[in-house]
Amino acid sequence: MKKFLLLLWLPIAVLASEKDSLSINYKQRFANMLDDCDACGCSATGGSMGFVSLLNTNFVGVRYIYQRYSSTDGLYANSPWYTEQFNSVQIWGRIPIFKNAQVSVLLPYHNNSRETETASHTISGVGDLTVIGLYRVYQTTTDSTFLAHTIQLGAGVKAPTGKYDETNNGSINPGFQLGTGSFDYLLLAEHILRRRQFGFQTMLNYIIKTENDQHYRFGNQFNYSVTLFWLREKDDFSFSPQLGVAGEVSESNRQYDQVVAKTSGSVLFGKIGIEAGIKRFSAGAQFLLPISQDLTGGRVDAKYRFGVNLNYSL
Amino acid sequence: MATALLLISCNSDDNAPTTGTGSLNIEFDNVYQSNNLILNTQPNTTSQNEVLKIGQLKYIVSNIKLTKADGSIFTYPKSQSYFIVDETDEASTTLQLQNIPSGDYVSVSFGIGVDQQQWELGADGQGNFLALAQSEDMLWSWSAGYKFLAFEGTFTSPTVASETAFMVHTGKTGTDYNYTTITLPLTNSALVRTDITPQIHIFADASKIIDGQNKIVLSDNNSGGMGAMIMGGENLALITANLSQMFTVNHVHNE
Repeated sequence: MKKFLLLLWLPIAVLASEKDSLSINYKQRFANMLDDCDACGCSATGGSMGFVSLLNTNFVGVRYIYQRYSSTDGLYANSPWYTEQFNSVQIWGRIPIFKNAQVSVLLPYHNNSRETETASHTISGVGDLTVIGLYRVYQTTTDSTFLAHTIQLGAGVKAPTGKYDETNNGSINPGFQLGTGSFDYLLLAEHILRRRQFGFQTMLNYIIKTENDQHYRFGNQFNYSVTLFWLREKDDFSFSPQLGVAGEVSESNRQYDQVVAKTSGSVLFGKIGIEAGIKRFSAGAQFLLPISQDLTGGRVDAKYRFGVNLNYSL
Repeated sequence: MATALLLISCNSDDNAPTTGTGSLNIEFDNVYQSNNLILNTQPNTTSQNEVLKIGQLKYIVSNIKLTKADGSIFTYPKSQSYFIVDETDEASTTLQLQNIPSGDYVSVSFGIGVDQQQWELGADGQGNFLALAQSEDMLWSWSAGYKFLAFEGTFTSPTVASETAFMVHTGKTGTDYNYTTITLPLTNSALVRTDITPQIHIFADASKIIDGQNKIVLSDNNSGGMGAMIMGGENLALITANLSQMFTVNHVHNE
């Protein structure tokens, strides 16, 4: 835990020292991405897809995320593998509160299905509500610096508005749920580095899970992403292709305070995305393919994820 | 952020003193090496290059004892502690134990077969189990005794080209009871509570029966090409010894 907190603060310490340089006063059109994903889909509100478009700071919108997995009970060498599909439609937004401060809100509706030996099993319903307060702790303010920085920090809570059903859990994908059933807490840090039309965004977040009323506690999770982007803005039109990696590392789940075997894991995705905006509207799409993974003790295999979104700038 | 940090240390405590009784399930999951056991169709190769297609696997599980972390032992009532696990009857593979004192159990012990003390109670002392064993074909006759384990199917080998029957039946022979007691540590504690029924998931590796620490070559027992029938003799002691290596705990669910 301490390690992760240190990690969160590290970028600030480093970047604070560069504050004296001159800078370009960008239109603050960049928002902060926030991963808010529980490994292998459980209440995968963000699914490593980021929280917000790079084009608009403050907005409301809808997003659709599709995630595909294959999972097995992991008991036998000849255990069958079954396809799991997670569909999530999300209402999301980032609303300015006062200078340098915003609140992000995300409410998903999930429709998750899993093949079984005989048929398929589907769960659907509202997922967990996430609310995050964000504060811009540093921004390069002058126009002529070589590199411009923006640093945001935030903390938030994920409320168990999604249903956690113990019977879904079984011995297969513990993430096959609408929600974690627990109040979970998020810490996040984000840094955007820009030079002219190019930018480099780094995002780190750590999710602290708590035990739900079924005495199950999902493992704490560390998410990160780095994204290289290019931004073209002209008149009312903006356009931004993006390329990067995103990863998730999760600790073991616990039940009755005992470690549940084969529940920790990690995954690293490569991602490619594009966003385009006209006036106050923008649309985006992202596609993620795993580069390496060892999820849930090897019992879950992430195939791919994609997301599309439509936003309206506030 | 300060709020979030405070909440990290805020963890509910479920380790309240345990009282009352609860239930506990023990699942016997038959496997062949690392594979789930599939009867009749799955070819299973032994270290002796024999290929087995297993048609039946049954065994008597008895005298279950559970040990708590503090070393105290709960013995399941002996008269209720005889079960037949039958691979063809899924319900029989999970033993449902009741009235277990609440507690955190760290190991389980059981026997394969029927022990001498129980046998000496005579046919009348067997309760309902005698009828069950008869209907499950796990009794030769009262005097010949119970079959402790029945492992049957067909095999082929470099010297036996066509599928040939095999039958391994263990049990008491003469004055030798051949009763095997097995003690297994649990991977994580089984938390028996009034509202938690743990399930101990045991893997029973059928490969160990004839291909464990002692290797039994079926082809060598295929007398006159009529099939390999092992129900006594020196191989029986070897197979009985193998049974003690057959069982492992894969995991424990507390739900």
